[in-house]
Amino acid sequence: MRTHPARHWLMTWALVVAMQGLAAQPESGQSLDANGQLQNPVLQNRFERITKELRCLVCQNESIADSNVQLASDLRRQVREMLVAGSSDEAIFKFMTDRYGEFVRFGPPLEPKTLLIWGAPFIALLLGVAIVYRIVRQRSRMPLDE
Amino acid sequence: MWKFLLPFAAFVALVVLFAFGLNPKRDIHELPSPLLGKPAPVFTLTDVLDASRTVSNGALKGQVYLLTSWGTWCVECRVELPAMLEISRQHVVPIIGLDYMDDREKAKQWLEQLGNPYTAAAFDSDGRTAIDWGIYGAPETFLVDARGRVIYKFITPLTQEVWEHEFLPRIAAARRDGA
Repeated sequence: MRTHPARHWLMTWALVVAMQGLAAQPESGQSLDANGQLQNPVLQNRFERITKELRCLVCQNESIADSNVQLASDLRRQVREMLVAGSSDEAIFKFMTDRYGEFVRFGPPLEPKTLLIWGAPFIALLLGVAIVYRIVRQRSRMPLDE
Repeated sequence: MWKFLLPFAAFVALVVLFAFGLNPKRDIHELPSPLLGKPAPVFTLTDVLDASRTVSNGALKGQVYLLTSWGTWCVECRVELPAMLEISRQHVVPIIGLDYMDDREKAKQWLEQLGNPYTAAAFDSDGRTAIDWGIYGAPETFLVDARGRVIYKFITPLTQEVWEHEFLPRIAAARRDGA
């Protein structure tokens, strides 16, 4: 079966237009700012890493890198400006947590009150080892089946 | 003995966890403000109603005051407005309205048409003051004491009840402790 040439051309054209539309969309995970990328690729990398680690407080399970809301955009601008001004990652995170609290970071810091969170996997592991040990010992005392 | 006690303890732990986690009164969007007990961030912005005038909270040092975020995009602020107007009529403390992510003309219209409960309405054109205060929505209301420290933060619309039960006692206490 042969496609009519005019039709073929039309479909190609439609496809090209559609793909241009796609290309105009920001890539997933990239910030949706009009400002575009930072000139310096090292800074751009840090920008992407930091904005992924900061929670958008309006839509709390999104990072400010992913979120479209105005607050996220304002915070991205803040991160961008601090990076350009030469702030360290730590200084940027501190700026955010001083204002929004630890909740603004996805990863909790290691400190006395978060010890339980960080320690829980190890506690669970120890518990598991203890349980397995007990079961194995009990079974090893049982008489062997014929 | 352990065979019964352990599942029971696990059950109790789950009940306690759910009692906290599923409590319908708990607002999952409410976050403790790290600003509590700290000096209120100082700002100087222009007045919503008159761009040639400035509004600064530096001038309020020595006074207990409220700072509340709002915007014409904020539906809850419209809900809050009658209560805010009533509170404002009582003249207990100055109320600074921080208008952010907004359009000045729309904000002006809002205040002129719906009423202006604010002692002064500051226009935060680029949202930087809101960031300094850790504001992530509206309305959010802060109470600042005479020493310029943030002593209380309330999110969601103020009501007469909240005003009487949460704010008035704290204002009285702040004044007792003295400037």
